[in-house]
Amino acid sequence: MKNWIKALPLVAVLFMGFTAQAAEKPKVIRFAFPGSTIVLGKPSALVNNIIVDQQLLEKEFAKDGIKIEVSNFVTAGPGVNEALAAGLADFANYGDFPIVTGKAGGLKTKFILATDVGANTYIIGRTDLHIKGVKDLKGRSFGIFKGTNLQPPFIKLLLANGLTEKDVRTVNLNTTDAQAALIAKSIDAIGIGADRPVVDLGVGEVIGDTNQLPLSTRATTGLVVQEDFAKKYPDIVKRVVKVYLQANRFASDEKNREVLLKILVNTGAKYKYLKSEYALLPLKVRHNPLLTQGNTVHYKDLVDFSEHNKLIRKKFDVDQWIDKSYEQAALKELGLENYWAK
Amino acid sequence: MTNRISKAKLTLLLLGGLLISNADLQAARKQIPEPSVKPEKTESVVQENAGTAEVDEDSQAATKRDLQGLTSDVAVLRDQLTRQLDSNIANTARSLTIGGTLQNRYTAVTSTNQPTSPNGFTVNAAILSFSGALKKDYEEGRNLTYALSLISTAATNTFQPYDAYLQYAIFPSLDIEKPNFNITFGQQAIPFGLEPQVGEDKKPAAVYAIFAGANGWNLAQRDLGVQLKGDLFPFVDLAYTYRVPLIQYQLGIFNGSNWNTAETNKSKDVVGRIVLNAPVDYNSDFRGLSIGSSFYSGEKDLAQSNGTLITGGSGKGTRNRYGADIAYVASPFGFTAEYAVGDDDRVISGTTIANAVKSTIKSKAYTATLFYEWGEQFLNQVRNQSRLDDWWPKTYQPFIRYDYFDPDTSVANNESSVLTYGFNFFFAQTTKLQLNYNVSNLKNTNVKQSQFIAQFQFGF
Repeated sequence: MKNWIKALPLVAVLFMGFTAQAAEKPKVIRFAFPGSTIVLGKPSALVNNIIVDQQLLEKEFAKDGIKIEVSNFVTAGPGVNEALAAGLADFANYGDFPIVTGKAGGLKTKFILATDVGANTYIIGRTDLHIKGVKDLKGRSFGIFKGTNLQPPFIKLLLANGLTEKDVRTVNLNTTDAQAALIAKSIDAIGIGADRPVVDLGVGEVIGDTNQLPLSTRATTGLVVQEDFAKKYPDIVKRVVKVYLQANRFASDEKNREVLLKILVNTGAKYKYLKSEYALLPLKVRHNPLLTQGNTVHYKDLVDFSEHNKLIRKKFDVDQWIDKSYEQAALKELGLENYWAK
Repeated sequence: MTNRISKAKLTLLLLGGLLISNADLQAARKQIPEPSVKPEKTESVVQENAGTAEVDEDSQAATKRDLQGLTSDVAVLRDQLTRQLDSNIANTARSLTIGGTLQNRYTAVTSTNQPTSPNGFTVNAAILSFSGALKKDYEEGRNLTYALSLISTAATNTFQPYDAYLQYAIFPSLDIEKPNFNITFGQQAIPFGLEPQVGEDKKPAAVYAIFAGANGWNLAQRDLGVQLKGDLFPFVDLAYTYRVPLIQYQLGIFNGSNWNTAETNKSKDVVGRIVLNAPVDYNSDFRGLSIGSSFYSGEKDLAQSNGTLITGGSGKGTRNRYGADIAYVASPFGFTAEYAVGDDDRVISGTTIANAVKSTIKSKAYTATLFYEWGEQFLNQVRNQSRLDDWWPKTYQPFIRYDYFDPDTSVANNESSVLTYGFNFFFAQTTKLQLNYNVSNLKNTNVKQSQFIAQFQFGF
């Protein structure tokens, strides 16, 4: 019996060695994305769709026997945050506002890559009310999905037009309900993304959009990783970033513009609106993934803005949160150091 | 079009929009030739910088004839859709959601000092439910809704009204940062305690605690009346669309004469509950912590110990309950604990109110449940994934519950206690397998009992 006890430390050391070896690579890497609400099983964002459609992650990690799991949340950013909080996702590529609210709320993530910048929020007014523009929203009811990427650009758009959130009667409605409310004439205007079928139905018209605002104030998306995962598997994180850079490289190529629109049409969005939305910026700007100074400033501004507007309760250090090391290593490996504007 | 536009009409409009959008897409696709480089070539495209999607819109532009053909296709599609809607989909004048819950159970019992009842299969409960909005207020969410459910249990084997109420949101309900307040009129759950009214997130056992069931104070049963329900000082974490009010309150007036039963006396029973929740962020360790207190103040018809009503005793007997509870439910760990006492008047002797000698029976009950789960059953947003119907996150939940009820504290050795070891397995969206092993000590009848329950609960 005593000999058996003496052998325990040795067994423990051997076990630790075994687990350390096993920790070199995970069995599965789990990704969380906002999902399409129209086509089941599809992410809503372009870069995520490229990666899923082309199985870029599966190809990258096939030789290691690492499985890729993707979850698409119809509840968008808040759903992704819940998955991260519950430890059900290692990586997430989603909108800047839920990224910021999640981090401010205590998620232990690192921001490792930008994936999309300059997405527009559109303000649709009821056709029969003849709303002249954003300034004319004063005193009117306005439906928007709070907590999503739509909220900060909407508030910024109001501010740019001399209004505050208090000047309008904001109603928290998800995008589907907001459009139904507009059709039912129960609400005066709504804020939605590029896809806007209510305009086709003749009940709404675009009265403003964030394209009027500076690029840095519009919605962006980014890739985050759980801190623990990054500490444990730094090489895996670099390889995931490499895959995202490849997808962004593809999405930045003007020659692929129509292919990209087709990929997005397959998520249920409407071609003509996607075409006009994507015509607003060169693809190389829209899908510049670099963690530039501008990107850092954007997130610092968003954190300040969210705190000022009581959308988050405490700020966090953006400089400490952003980790450029994976991006720089992956860019070098791909020879793309000078492809995007810095 | 008015505020009263029905869901069906909206659906048709949106479907129409989609058809139009599809037409646009088809036309657009005709304009856009298939790219010479398929998306599958992403890697080589990146590496070789050769993503050449040859696009020559002019050479393959849609002709007028193409568009006319497409318009005809859309018209045919629309007609087909209308026919299908007419013939295959039931129609209602107002919005309606039909649902149901079934409990198929196998029970095995062994007892001491009592003939053992035969083991067997039962449909423990079958509930058919209908609900919807009579008026949907998009602007403020002051919705007028209704609910009707019919229940058949193993004891009755006939369907009878269970929930049957009308509810109106007095305060606007769309803004999650504002308090809620609504009124419910009709047959509904009584706002007392945790066990009698909480969902499966806080009550993992297949059977109610004794005080909530028919062998106790029957508080889990429905009653007829009117109830105000609301909350104050909501705390919102936008990162998760998580909302927790600091205070939740319920106050109702009920017949107190049992469900589906006409009132038997002039008095009404007043029932209330207040809950304080920890107003914390989603990521806080205190998320899911709440303490509550309930009261039930009523009057019942005076009866002798054998249940015979005395003359003139209608509404002359006191029936009071007071309870306190605490719950901590934060996946994966949770517990609930509840304590309650009761006062009930009964007639010791006499057959009329004039000569009746009354006494007050004091009773008490407590129950505590501890559970642990692994899986995503109770993560609301994680459950809402864009996946096909063959997906559901499996969840496993072992639990243990101790349950105690003393119907008369002045009498020794008449209490009942039940220790339950249980395991729940959630394997589809509305389906779970419940395994419960109940060890009961029923001192009033000097019976010790072991009961095994295997139950599938499923809904549609």
